[in-house]
Amino acid sequence: MNESTRFARSIRFLADRFPMEKLNFQSMVAKKDVPVHRMSWAYYLGGLVLFFFGIQLMTGIALLFYYQPSVSDAHASVEYLTRNVAGGALIRNIHAWSSSGMIFTLLIHLLTTFAMKAFARPRELTWVSGVLLLMLTFAFGFTGYLLPWHQIAVNATKVGLQSIEQLGEFLPGALSEIPTKIRVAIQGEAAVGQATLSRFFAAHVVLLPLATFAVLGLHLFQVQIHGMSPGVDKPTTRSERFFPFFVLKDFRVWGVVMFVLATIALCIPFEAFFDYPLFEPYDALGSTPDGIKPEWYFLFLYYPLELLPFWLVNLIVMLAVGVLLMAPVIFRGTSRRVLSTIAILVAAYLVVSTVFGQEIYEMIKGGH
Amino acid sequence: MRSLKPLAVIALVLALPSAATAYPEFQKYSQERSGRGVNCAMCHAHADGPDGVKAGQVGSLDAEGIARLNAARIAFEPGQKVDSPILNRFGDAIIEGVGKNAVLSMRATPAGLGDAMRLSDLDGDGISDGDEYDEGTHPLDPNHGDPWKLFVVNLSRHRLDLLLLALATALGLYGLGHILTWFGHAAEAALGRGKSPKE
Repeated sequence: MNESTRFARSIRFLADRFPMEKLNFQSMVAKKDVPVHRMSWAYYLGGLVLFFFGIQLMTGIALLFYYQPSVSDAHASVEYLTRNVAGGALIRNIHAWSSSGMIFTLLIHLLTTFAMKAFARPRELTWVSGVLLLMLTFAFGFTGYLLPWHQIAVNATKVGLQSIEQLGEFLPGALSEIPTKIRVAIQGEAAVGQATLSRFFAAHVVLLPLATFAVLGLHLFQVQIHGMSPGVDKPTTRSERFFPFFVLKDFRVWGVVMFVLATIALCIPFEAFFDYPLFEPYDALGSTPDGIKPEWYFLFLYYPLELLPFWLVNLIVMLAVGVLLMAPVIFRGTSRRVLSTIAILVAAYLVVSTVFGQEIYEMIKGGH
Repeated sequence: MRSLKPLAVIALVLALPSAATAYPEFQKYSQERSGRGVNCAMCHAHADGPDGVKAGQVGSLDAEGIARLNAARIAFEPGQKVDSPILNRFGDAIIEGVGKNAVLSMRATPAGLGDAMRLSDLDGDGISDGDEYDEGTHPLDPNHGDPWKLFVVNLSRHRLDLLLLALATALGLYGLGHILTWFGHAAEAALGRGKSPKE
């Protein structure tokens, strides 16, 4: 393939993904239809993730008014906010529950999108940007976990950062130094301390939101310009107008979810599920309390790391990320039936490792 | 001779200001019964217990603190005001409620402490301190308790708020629905489609 052919193909690729002729109100709103079929419910998941992101943004800004990002004051500021500020506990609970809701919905959105083959041409960029948003969301979870500076926060972060360094053991020569350098760059100093907290805070409230806005912008633009994917093998004849009917249903779903979220946040403090010693201020000289674990959305990774060789888990993770990003190419000719089976198997693994991970771990390792 | 016995006990207690004064039987019971991680902070001022030199531990006390500690240590009978520098409010409430003698005798049957504190709810979360002790949750933290019990209690407490929220959500969606539908019709008309949008 010569230069000009390659250039022409690149231009054609971009023209297909960014069809400027559709960049108008008629195409993107007025004439946009949404297919109606048995999987139509999945079309609401992306909007729901967006809704949770909006909640995170608003409650996060409210939390910023009181949070102090220093190792001496972080825990006390969170305690003050929770106990003394009117509505503080509710805002914090909504932020915590909504983060879980966002990741849960995002995972289902990813799996249904995969099963519906919504990554097929010309929606490859929608898919890739979606995978990047998933990674950014996990990064939000990881960085946000440290901010309250309590026992579970700091110790879980230490474990996470140590995992990065361990990678060096499996790399040859000078490459083996790179994970340590990455860890030090993230950590900012020899041990998890003020520099780490500052970096995680900056990442959580500035860098990651900016990156998310950029990728989300591309994602939504792609969704809007290409419309909803057909989603099923047999083309459906039924459809509904995107505006106002689908948008209105989207808002109804958001309204119901907002009510459920507010009820849960008002009635069940998220800390109630954990042992209280885990929420005491971090003491660098004290012993690590029992029960240090990552948040539920990292358990699918945590238990394999505890049970299988480190290099094997990392190899699987890298392969999985590669497959996710390259899915539009790898699964180009795969039927929706096969894709659905893969999605169901992945979902089953996520549920089993998250819900029954501890039991499986104890069964294999024996005892507690 | 009989009258000298309590004095001898008091003298012995006061003579040992730095001796181990935590009773791990209660922590062990709470932890085993609940399956949750429990530490000394359930009753003590410091999570590592009373022994040591950190704030809230015996070694850090000044003269005034020692005096308060000694006063708490001789509160053998229930009903006496206790303000121990090494205990938290729950620890003080236990000594005030049942007396030091009963606490000492309950070391053999730590389940009794839960029964003794069944009517107290220091954090006001709707779960009694006795239940929190049995369930390994913190009796002084209203955000910590059995999740299901907290849900039931808070649902009842906030039922009016939730009713208003449900009403506001329903009305908001009703209004929004009308605005969007009107806008859809107006857009249709402006674009000259000639008929109303149908679902």
